[in-house]
Amino acid sequence: MDFIQTTVSSFVSLIPVTLAQSFILSFVVLGIMIPFRMLSFPDLTSEGAFPLGGCICGILLAAGVTPPLAIAAAFAIGLAAGCCTAFIHLRFRIHTLLAGILMSTMLYSINLGIMGKSNLSVFGAPTVFDWVPLTQPGFPVSKIIVAGIIALIVLIALNLYFKTEKGTAMRAVGANPDMAEAQGINVWAATIGGVGIASAFSAASGALMVQSQGFADVNMGIGILINGLAALMIGEAFTGKQTVLRQLLAPFVGSIIYYQLVSLCLAAGLPPSNLKLATGLFVLIMLALPSIRRSRGGAPSRETIRE
Amino acid sequence: MLDIKSARKVFYKGLPDEKVALDGLTLSLKSGEFGVVIGSNGAGKSSMLNAISGALSLDSGQIIINGNDVTGTPVHKRAARLARVFQDPMKGTAASMTVAENMLLAELRGKKRALRPGLNASRLATYRERLSVLGLGLENRLDTKVELLSGGQRQSLSLIMAVGGSPDVLLLDEHTAALDPRTADIVMQATVRTVEALKLTTLMVTHNMQHAVDFGDSIIMLDAGRVHLEITGEGKRRITVPELIGHFAVKTDRMLLVS
Repeated sequence: MDFIQTTVSSFVSLIPVTLAQSFILSFVVLGIMIPFRMLSFPDLTSEGAFPLGGCICGILLAAGVTPPLAIAAAFAIGLAAGCCTAFIHLRFRIHTLLAGILMSTMLYSINLGIMGKSNLSVFGAPTVFDWVPLTQPGFPVSKIIVAGIIALIVLIALNLYFKTEKGTAMRAVGANPDMAEAQGINVWAATIGGVGIASAFSAASGALMVQSQGFADVNMGIGILINGLAALMIGEAFTGKQTVLRQLLAPFVGSIIYYQLVSLCLAAGLPPSNLKLATGLFVLIMLALPSIRRSRGGAPSRETIRE
Repeated sequence: MLDIKSARKVFYKGLPDEKVALDGLTLSLKSGEFGVVIGSNGAGKSSMLNAISGALSLDSGQIIINGNDVTGTPVHKRAARLARVFQDPMKGTAASMTVAENMLLAELRGKKRALRPGLNASRLATYRERLSVLGLGLENRLDTKVELLSGGQRQSLSLIMAVGGSPDVLLLDEHTAALDPRTADIVMQATVRTVEALKLTTLMVTHNMQHAVDFGDSIIMLDAGRVHLEITGEGKRRITVPELIGHFAVKTDRMLLVS
């Protein structure tokens, strides 16, 4: 009884902090979902783009640049990183996953180079979270409000975009690249643009994270990909993938649920060192489920991430 | 109008398994002409279609569509003048997208895509009308994902998508081969009706000799990457299936001698 009580009380006390964190990290999940689901381009760049955004935001804040401008800069440079990954894949016919690994490996050195050291404290620097009236700066509620509003705007904008003529063409590239090309769609432009935007969201997420936690660290991206993938799987289990809106909601819903689950596990006493194992097993089970179900009935078929 | 001028393409050049796919192939289709291409496996039919669509780049020679040399033009830029229906019903449509979205993609083929909403009421009404011609009930399934349609329905959709916007050249790559006989017949009838109504310059590859005899203005028989025989006009009207197969037999004998 005592165990349950302490677990519940520490979990509940962490809910606002976790919610703020999950809104901020939902943009990484979005950055994983767009290439994976919309472009059939499983991409690992976010592992490098997230700290890239963080590092850029860190040095800009330290140099006195305004917080929104620092996020915009992170977004732009993240975009460039994503474009590079897509270009490496298209031009040299290197597998998408390998292109992403190459890119995030190189980004690690670049991030170190940008900051000049492995971490940088920007505690006390102004952040976008200071703008919310009637809350104390640094209090999770202000983070929930700011990150939540940005998430809502991004969700609405992307939902509109993917239904435009250009957006439909981008989705066609993911659905059937040969057919898209035969319909006069420039596959290169759509892939580079789509993967670029996705990495831009990951980098913007890193920038928000730095403003939230008050420091930038070159290692802040480690494990972000597997967390994001787990969140995406959970989100899709709840929202489904039938329509563009459901697919776009999945990262946000998944992020909120996933980080609460993690918080619950930690509150229940799971050693943090086991967290990655637990997350990895969870993603494995979610990816394996379709093939386990199928092997009972019919022939097993390929899951897209293994392509 | 479509002109292929001494197109040449060699695969695995300089290697022991070097294969001459197109060996100075020259072919000309007048505007509105419906050519039926036949030939045994490996004769160069698919290479020819891929060369016309741009999926295969030529070693030498030219592809000219309506007087414009498109030899160096990439696939997505040729698409403005050219439409293609593939043998595999999976290839010509985007499976995870709806019927209406596929129609939208085809409507915008070769046009500038803008940042405005794709599907609207007037477009949906047009698509409904164009799909109703098939008589397959597709007009009532605009919001259905294409992956849920049967092969015949998908192929019919591909055809409607291809002929919309009156392309300068229509390529049909054994587009009824993967269908059951009844569906193949429906798709073939729809093909002939639209090609005649829109006077499309069409090149149809088929292994079905009856189709080759029944449909089209001319028969083009390919062999070893070249035009082996061209039957047009009165000759085309009078040819029978056995005669046509006879032309294959000559080639088969020669193949026996060579091997």
